[in-house]
Amino acid sequence: MHGVKLSGVTKAFGATNVIPMMDLHFDEGEFVVIVGPSGCGKSTTLRMIAGLEPVSGGQIFIGGKDVTWAPPKERDIAMVFQSYALYPHMNVAGNMSFALRLAGRPKDEVANRVRKAAELLELTEYLDRRPRDLSGGQRQRVAMGRAIVRDAYCFLFDEPLSNLDAKLRSTMRTELAILHKRLKRTMIYVTHDQIEAMTMADRIVIMDKGIIQQVGTPRAVYNSPDNRFVAGFIGSPSMNFLEAELAGSDELRVCGKGFDIPLSPKLRAATERNSSREVAIGLRPEHFSIKGAGGSQSSLFAPINLTVDVAEYIGSSQFLAARIGDQPITASIEVGPDSAPLESGEYLFDTNRMYLFNRKTGAAIA
Amino acid sequence: MIGQAIGGRQAVIMHYASLAVLALITLMPIWVMVSTGFKNDVLVQQKEPVWFFFVPTLGNYEYIMTRGNFDVYLWNSIIVGTLSTFFTLLFGGFCAYALARTEFRGRVLVANSTLLVRMVPPAVLAVPAFAMVVNFGLNNDLAVLTFFYTALNLPFAIWLLFGFFKQIPVELEEAAIIDGATPLQVYFRVLLPLMKSGYAVAGIFTFRIAWNEFILALLLTGRKTRTLPVGASGFITDTGVEWGRIMAMGTLIVIPPLIFTFFAARQIIAGMTAGAVKG
Repeated sequence: MHGVKLSGVTKAFGATNVIPMMDLHFDEGEFVVIVGPSGCGKSTTLRMIAGLEPVSGGQIFIGGKDVTWAPPKERDIAMVFQSYALYPHMNVAGNMSFALRLAGRPKDEVANRVRKAAELLELTEYLDRRPRDLSGGQRQRVAMGRAIVRDAYCFLFDEPLSNLDAKLRSTMRTELAILHKRLKRTMIYVTHDQIEAMTMADRIVIMDKGIIQQVGTPRAVYNSPDNRFVAGFIGSPSMNFLEAELAGSDELRVCGKGFDIPLSPKLRAATERNSSREVAIGLRPEHFSIKGAGGSQSSLFAPINLTVDVAEYIGSSQFLAARIGDQPITASIEVGPDSAPLESGEYLFDTNRMYLFNRKTGAAIA
Repeated sequence: MIGQAIGGRQAVIMHYASLAVLALITLMPIWVMVSTGFKNDVLVQQKEPVWFFFVPTLGNYEYIMTRGNFDVYLWNSIIVGTLSTFFTLLFGGFCAYALARTEFRGRVLVANSTLLVRMVPPAVLAVPAFAMVVNFGLNNDLAVLTFFYTALNLPFAIWLLFGFFKQIPVELEEAAIIDGATPLQVYFRVLLPLMKSGYAVAGIFTFRIAWNEFILALLLTGRKTRTLPVGASGFITDTGVEWGRIMAMGTLIVIPPLIFTFFAARQIIAGMTAGAVKG
C-alpha cells in the first residue's frame, strides 16, 4: 500500500505562503479529487506532485520512493492539463507516442500501445489527424490517451474538463470514472467544480487558502462537514447560513430574526458541549418542503416562514430566492411539474438535517 | 442603393489606383536596374533615357561572368550570408527563449532594449570595427565578417523571436517535460517546429541584411574575400562609372535573396499553434 504521500509539504512564492503545511496520503488505486475555489493552492499541490513546481519544504513520496527532488520523468506519473497542451505539429498518434519515443521504446511496442489506448478512447479513426482538426472533446481524449499510453503509476489531472461544454463534461465525467475502474491506477484530480468531485471521487480533499479543510468520502463531506467552508462549498445549490443564537434552558432552540426553531435531540446533545451561544445555522436548499407533503408532519419538521422573491420553475421542483426575516436564502422544493409558482408563507424544514456552526471559528458544532 | 453601389465601385477603383501607384514606385527602380543591365554603353550614357524599347545586349553579363571574380564574390556572399543567418538564428533563438521563459526584473526592458542596438547604423561601427580587426590582423577573413553580421543581426532576431516564443503556451513545454523530454529535446522537438514561422521571418531579415551590407564588407575584406556588393562597386573606376555592368551585377545580386525568401516564406503558415490549447 504505497500510493502517493505528501509529508509536511510547504510552498511559498516569495513572501506569499501558498501552502503553509500539508500532510496528505493517497492510497494506491484510489481516485482522489482535490477541490477548492481558485487560488486555494490545489493546482500548486498537483504541480508539486508532478515535479513542475519545487516544494519549499517537506517530502513527497510516490510508490514508496522519495521523489521530492526528482525530475518529473523519474516520478512515474502522467498528467492531463486543463488546456490539453497537445503538440500542434504532431498528429494524434504522434502526440500519444511522444513519451514512448523519447524513452526509446521499440517501434512495434509503441504502435501497439497507441493502438490499444486509441481503441479504449475511441480515437482509432483520428490517429492521423492534427489537434487543430479535432473537436474539444476529441482533443480532451487525446490528452488522456497521451497519459494512458505511459501506463504510469499515478495519473494527475489539472481541471481537465473545464474547457468543455456542460453536456460533454458530464459524458467525460462518466468516461473518466469508467477509465479509472479499468486502469485501477492512483488518480489525483484537481477541480473547482464540486459536482465533478462528488460524482467521481473515492475521496475528496477540500482546500481553502492553502489549508486542507476536510478529507473524506463524498457522503461524509456532504453529510457531516467539518466546518462552515466545507458545508458551503459542497452541495449545489450551496447551503444557506443564518445568524442565530441559542436560547432556552429546558428545550434548546435557535432564534434569529424571523425564526425560532427547536433543536433536534442530536444537536441538543452537541450544543451542551459547546459554550458559545452565538451560532450560524446551516440549511441546505433541498431540505425545505411545503406543508402537507407526505411524511413531513413528524415533530422533526419545524415550520419556518419564507418571504418568496422569485420562484423559478425547473420541472419537478422549484428554486426559491427567498428571505427568512431579512436574511436571504435559496430553497429547492419538490412540488411536481404541474404546480403553480410557490408563494410566501409557512414552509417546513427538516431539523434533523440542520447544521450548527460556531459563528466565530466556523467549526461545526454538530 | 444605387448611390451606395456607385460609391462602393469608386472606392474599389481608388483602392486599386493607389495600389498601382505604390507598385509603380516600388517597381520602377527595379526596372531601371534590370533594363540598364541589358543596355550597351552608348544607350546608358544617352542624355534622353530610353525606357522600354531598345535592342538588348548580354555584353555586360558576359563581361561580369568572364572577366571579373564574380564566382568568388558570389561564393563569399553565400558563405557569409548563410553562416551569419545560421548563427543568428541559433543564438538568437536561445537568447529569446531564455528571455521569454525566465522571470527576472526588467526582463521586458532587456528584450525591448536589444532593439536599441539595432538602431545604430553599421556606418558608425565601421571605423572602430576596422581598427579592431586590423589590430588583431584579422582583416580579409570571411569569419570576421560572419561574426560582425551575426552580432549586428542578433538584437533584431532576439526581439522578433522573443515575441514568437511568448505566444507558445508554457503548458506545451510542461507536457513535454512530463513526457520525459530533456531541455534540449523540449527546444528542438517541441518548440522549434512551432517556431518555424518566427525563424523564417527572422531568417529573411537576417539574410537580406547580411547579403546587402556594404560598408563593413568594403572595409573588412580584401581581393579574395570581397562580397558581391563590394564587387559591384569595383565598376566605379577612375575613368568613370560603368553603369551597365553595375546594374547587371545588381540584377544578379537580387536573385539569391529572392530564392531564399521564396523558400523561407513557405514556412510562414499562420496559426501553426492553433489547436494546441483550448477548444
